[in-house]
Amino acid sequence: MNDNGAPAIRAEGLVKHYSGREGTVEAVRGVDLEIPSGEIFGFLGPNGAGKSTTVRMLTTLLSITAGRAEVAGVDVARDPDEARRRIGVAFQEAGLDPRQTGRELLVLHGRLFGLGADQAKGRAQQLLALVELEDAADRRIKGYSGGMERRLDLAAALVHEPDVLFLDEPTTGLDPASRLTVWEELRRINGQGTTVFLTTQYLEEADQLCDRLAIIDDGRIVREGTPDQLKSDLRERRGGEEPTLDDVFLDATGRTRERAAGEVQEVVA
Amino acid sequence: MSATIALGQRSLREALRQPDALFMTLFIPIFFLVVNTGQAADIFPSESTGFLEGQGYGAFQLPITLLLAASFGMAALFLVEEIEGGYFDKLRAMPIPRYSIVLGRLAAESLKGIVLSSVIILIALPFGITIASGPLGFLLIVGLSALWGVVYAAFMQLIALKTRSAAATNSGGLIFFPLLFLTPNFVPRELLTEPMEVAATLNPVTYLMEALRSLILVDLDWGQILPGFAVVAVLGAVALVLNIRMIRNYD
Repeated sequence: MNDNGAPAIRAEGLVKHYSGREGTVEAVRGVDLEIPSGEIFGFLGPNGAGKSTTVRMLTTLLSITAGRAEVAGVDVARDPDEARRRIGVAFQEAGLDPRQTGRELLVLHGRLFGLGADQAKGRAQQLLALVELEDAADRRIKGYSGGMERRLDLAAALVHEPDVLFLDEPTTGLDPASRLTVWEELRRINGQGTTVFLTTQYLEEADQLCDRLAIIDDGRIVREGTPDQLKSDLRERRGGEEPTLDDVFLDATGRTRERAAGEVQEVVA
Repeated sequence: MSATIALGQRSLREALRQPDALFMTLFIPIFFLVVNTGQAADIFPSESTGFLEGQGYGAFQLPITLLLAASFGMAALFLVEEIEGGYFDKLRAMPIPRYSIVLGRLAAESLKGIVLSSVIILIALPFGITIASGPLGFLLIVGLSALWGVVYAAFMQLIALKTRSAAATNSGGLIFFPLLFLTPNFVPRELLTEPMEVAATLNPVTYLMEALRSLILVDLDWGQILPGFAVVAVLGAVALVLNIRMIRNYD
């Protein structure tokens, strides 16, 4: 729970419809979530299931068609600025400004979150040390490797010490070593009390990192629980060998391994 | 306001770190100034051409050079690059007024416009071009050119926000660009052929050009100057309102 006693994230009947030339697309069809403070929560689903759309609604980037969502006790539609003060976001592609240096970017973010110039510089230095980018701090981001960009992106999301950190596929495209570094960072950040909401297509990642997870398919949540609970539920229903999270995912989404190939990747870091 | 200033400073840094783009912004308009003057100076000798008010043809061409330079702003291209790259969403996820994202870029564009216009005029002075309206006229020329740069960039930003595509934003520039040339840029409006005169009269850029030209060739002629400022005021207000509306409703 947060200072105000509310869960870190609460969503009730969250719906998103897009209107296009080919009619209305129902991207999210009624998502309910309640995530207590301090968890690492995994949000899994095949491509196009509604993961990113849900995250974008929770982070105030997308309007909500129906339902409501609160982050750190703040209604994201009614008070988006207050919600933005409570959240940090890092998306699928580390969207950074390639013409700035790592330090300039962090100082700018600090200032945009209301820190004074000296405070922002101090916080940037702290974060650069935290993500081990001090040596590259004054180089333009354009020259950073993928792993360095993700670490800087993570640092940028932490400038204002958010209550809830949203990470949309933070390790996609990273090599195993960089992926492990990001995992370590996430555990450390979570250890300091920040709730982490993580979307991923890597089931191994979810199994390793997440306290609880939900699987979304076709805009609806089809499973929710701890990784062990979900696996044991499946074992009870099916019997036989100890299922993996892959088996849970395939069972939940009604996909076969063949169909899922290309939609879900398994990694062993 | 502080977010707009912080983002404006970032945009200035961004522009300074693209010296090749700044060089082209300066080089292409000056190239046209030299070429156009070279081609037509003998047709319009200063001694016998009344509309030159005793100056060379280069002075007559200077306004289009200034407007061209002001229309080469990179704000919209940097903005659409950020939309495509995802940094725009990072900014939208911060507790800052959304308008500061577009206004920061436009504020930087206005400063850039002031510097570029001043540099172009300073380059032109040794070649016999004088500012007949004096130091105040110089300031008005620089201010008007910079304001036009802001208006142009604001319209380009609208395309960037609407299309979210670099290719479409680039093409959008081609739609606005002919407006610079449907003007009395080679001879005064009354010497144009009738269809061109009608087109130039309907084109708001004509009034900007005539305001700039009067400041360069004659003294402070407010009857010519004020319509130029009125055009940037009206177009600027429209562009700003549309920019703010579009970024507020951006989904």
